[in-house]
Amino acid sequence: MPPRLKMPNRTTRTHIAFLALPVALFVTFYIYPIISSIHLSLHSWDGFSPSMRWVGLQNYVTLLGQPRFFNAVINNVTWVVFMLIVPTGTGLLLAALLDRGIRGESVFRILFFLPFTIPAVAVAAIWRWMYEPSNGLLTTVLELVGLGGLAQNWLGDPAIVNFSLMGAVAWWTTGFAFLVFFAGLRNIPTECIEAARIEGATPWQTFWKVSFPLLWPSTIIVLGMSAIDAMRLFDVVWATTQGGPAYSSEVLAVQMYDLAFGRFAMGRASAVAVYLLLLSAVIIMPYIYYMSKRVTESEAE
Amino acid sequence: MKRTRLLGALFAGAITATSAYAQDTYEIWHYYAAGSELAGMEALIANGNEAVDEANFKGVIIPGNVVELRRQLQTAFLGGQPPAAYQSSMAFELKAFVDGGRLHPLTEVWSEINGDEIFPDGVQRVVKIDGVPYGVPYDLSLINNVFYNVEIFEELGLEAPTDWESFLATCSALSDAGYQPLGNAGGPFWSLYNFYAPLVSVLGVDGYYQLASGEIGFDSPEFAEALDLYRDTMVSCYADNWSGKTWTQTADDVVNGDTGMFMMGIWVAAYFEQADFLAGENFDVFQAPGTVGKSIFQMDALAVPAGSEAAIEAAGKFIAAAASPEGQAAFAVPKGSLAPNVNVDPSVYGYAGSRFAEQFSEAAANDAVLPNLFFLLPTSVGTELGVQIERFAIDPSDAVKAELMSTLETLRQEALAENAFIAW
Amino acid sequence: MSNALAQRQTALTRTILIVFAIIFAAPLVVATLTSFKSPPELTRVLSLPSELYWQNYQAAFERMGRSFFNSIAITVPAVALSILIGAVAGYPLAYMRGSSGKLVYFLLLTGMLVPFQIVQIPLFFLIQRLGLYDTIAGMWLVHTAYAVPFCTFFMRNFFASVPRSMYEAALIDGCSPARYFWKLLLPASTSGLAALAIIQSRAIWNDLLFAITLTSSDAARPVTVEISGFASSLQVEYGPLMAATLVSVLPVMAAYLLFQKSFVRGLLGGAGK
Repeated sequence: MPPRLKMPNRTTRTHIAFLALPVALFVTFYIYPIISSIHLSLHSWDGFSPSMRWVGLQNYVTLLGQPRFFNAVINNVTWVVFMLIVPTGTGLLLAALLDRGIRGESVFRILFFLPFTIPAVAVAAIWRWMYEPSNGLLTTVLELVGLGGLAQNWLGDPAIVNFSLMGAVAWWTTGFAFLVFFAGLRNIPTECIEAARIEGATPWQTFWKVSFPLLWPSTIIVLGMSAIDAMRLFDVVWATTQGGPAYSSEVLAVQMYDLAFGRFAMGRASAVAVYLLLLSAVIIMPYIYYMSKRVTESEAE
Repeated sequence: MKRTRLLGALFAGAITATSAYAQDTYEIWHYYAAGSELAGMEALIANGNEAVDEANFKGVIIPGNVVELRRQLQTAFLGGQPPAAYQSSMAFELKAFVDGGRLHPLTEVWSEINGDEIFPDGVQRVVKIDGVPYGVPYDLSLINNVFYNVEIFEELGLEAPTDWESFLATCSALSDAGYQPLGNAGGPFWSLYNFYAPLVSVLGVDGYYQLASGEIGFDSPEFAEALDLYRDTMVSCYADNWSGKTWTQTADDVVNGDTGMFMMGIWVAAYFEQADFLAGENFDVFQAPGTVGKSIFQMDALAVPAGSEAAIEAAGKFIAAAASPEGQAAFAVPKGSLAPNVNVDPSVYGYAGSRFAEQFSEAAANDAVLPNLFFLLPTSVGTELGVQIERFAIDPSDAVKAELMSTLETLRQEALAENAFIAW
Repeated sequence: MSNALAQRQTALTRTILIVFAIIFAAPLVVATLTSFKSPPELTRVLSLPSELYWQNYQAAFERMGRSFFNSIAITVPAVALSILIGAVAGYPLAYMRGSSGKLVYFLLLTGMLVPFQIVQIPLFFLIQRLGLYDTIAGMWLVHTAYAVPFCTFFMRNFFASVPRSMYEAALIDGCSPARYFWKLLLPASTSGLAALAIIQSRAIWNDLLFAITLTSSDAARPVTVEISGFASSLQVEYGPLMAATLVSVLPVMAAYLLFQKSFVRGLLGGAGK
């Protein structure tokens, strides 16, 4: 062994040993399937014939010419915006309110978290009733309070269906944001809050000037997870509308599924998957880059 | 380090500890996951286990619909672990898998059960690919019936309509009295199934098959006329907000006396009965205008994957049992569908079922048994047709109609270029 | 600040919270009522059940049967393994200096971009070749593997919040880096591990996609597959579906209640406090 390449020291060896299994799992279960998807996307294949036909980039080109594809892309982007704002904002609001020492805190805490534990198919089934357009809970309540004019054909109107699905997903996922923010608020040292109060800050000011900046780590987690969930969104849409009516609520993962198994177009579905991966990369990569940069920052601390 | 190795050992130990597979049990895959459908499948499997001594059959539910089943089959085929037999739809659903070399021809079983005698012609032709049978039918549902609430009809003194004119008059009477005239539900199937009635009115039986085989274009004046008829009749009668409901929610509207009529597959009869809404008493049924004396049907067959000899042999025995009058009745009665085998005694059915059986044999005599167009068309065309018709039913404007016709015509041309159409 | 104002603010806070609580609870109330309705009553969504129709629960239990235990057998070890793998990967990444650590971390995090639907078919081959198709151990492996990015991310962040002085002091005392991890760091990180346990319990317990792809029989099928069975195909059995859903939520709720104290401290790194 040449002397320059000295044996790595004990710490480095330990580090490598620790990373070996996770990295091996990652390569096997992430990298290999992605490469195989890219391979499939360059072929025309029904999904079960013994042979497939090489078509080059044709699947990619065809998709770019389809309004259906762009509709799904736009839906995905809308979902990202929605997920970054609504469940996150609601979760923050609820956490901030509940953090002020309200009686029955534990009941509220369980209630806000509960929907998050329900499986997606059940969420879909429950909200199919909520949104039943003539006798469902939502329409009934609106009529009871004299706002019957606001009632909509919740899941059947192509112009409304995305908002309806978002409402259901907000109900489903706000619990996560709430939980993280609530934990974040409880982690803020009481001295900071006390100090602000002594200086005469109102609770509103205290929250925005003192608590919120200290919540940044929680916010990062919630925003990142929300964006990732929005890109991967599948279950609830598939189980509630299957992307309908007439593709109006389709997101990329749903389109991929429909092409692959609804129409036996495995190659084209794989091309959708690769586009989805690229789009996620564009939207989420900055976040991941930011997170990995924090490694250096925390080392500097 | 030691712990990491421990983790590996843990995995290895777990691997050897599990995974045991009984040798003589054969799986039948299906997506009848609930209710009367599941009851029917369980009865069919029990029938198979009773009739066949050498093998044991087990139903495996693939939750979802045909899309999920295909996905599961795909992985199973690629992995070399397909079931002994599975629930398959007809025509292109079978053809796709035959073209992929994944299905075992059922010629032997077919002659053993005398398939050419026991199944009507219209049924036979959608389970044979190039004359070779690849599926044995066991579940047949008519989709050209309109169900109506008897109480509402009696209250308004209405009779079951027989043509489009009386149908429209019935709609007006219902809506004048404050009822929703005709229910429908969201999704790519239900509007399409309703559309078949105007389609057959315009094209007739032969034209229907010509559309299926790609001979009539989607930009043709006949097809446009069918769309217009659909718009002027059924679409104009649809209940408010229909597209936001599931078919069971619309069925509930009929039960609760909000909606007068509902054109749906005959499985809705089983749903009604389950809700104590009884055939002949609370609801009754008539054939949609334009389809009187004809039957449009949806059908499931058992298909057998190519592969293991033992599994194919066992599946053959299961299928022979399933095709017998006892097997067919075992499934159809609890499910509320019709037995495709003509030797099944109609007395096994209840009030609704015997009406449907009558309709079906009349249609067979008229040579007017029409399989669901969705499955007669190449998969990409049929699926898109469903989506486009729903879109048109929601917004029946000329712009949507024009777009529908051009989208489908483009797909037809593509399919023609690939020689994908079949004359069934 | 006057007392009256403070009181009014508290009242307002309470009101907002109660309104949200009602919004959050209403769908669950409807679900609960539905789980007690007989089939004819189900046609009226908002009606009250005339009597408690326990048959739905009976049907749910019959159908869930073994799958409920499969879910437990899958979830408990898979949660433990996925947290462990996250900790094992997060530890060096929190302490490594230089660009190689950052690169590995970045690479692992990109896994969070991957939509799981695209891995299905290659995954099926892998699992089958390993002889793990339709086994509970196969589900452990898959859940552990697909948890790598998120759990690594989570645990690295947590470890980064543990004061580095603790690590350096231990090394000076002659403790090996591996020993430090097992003997000092992990025991000091229970709150972070607990927080991750809640998130992972929910994710693994509710998984449907991997379960459908990789299991086919009673030997390994988890409860989500059975629940989705009630909700799929042509017919939906709402009564048993809701009964099964409510029952299946209980274990995750139990995990939440069990770990929630630590969760508050652990989510953002609080071992040092």
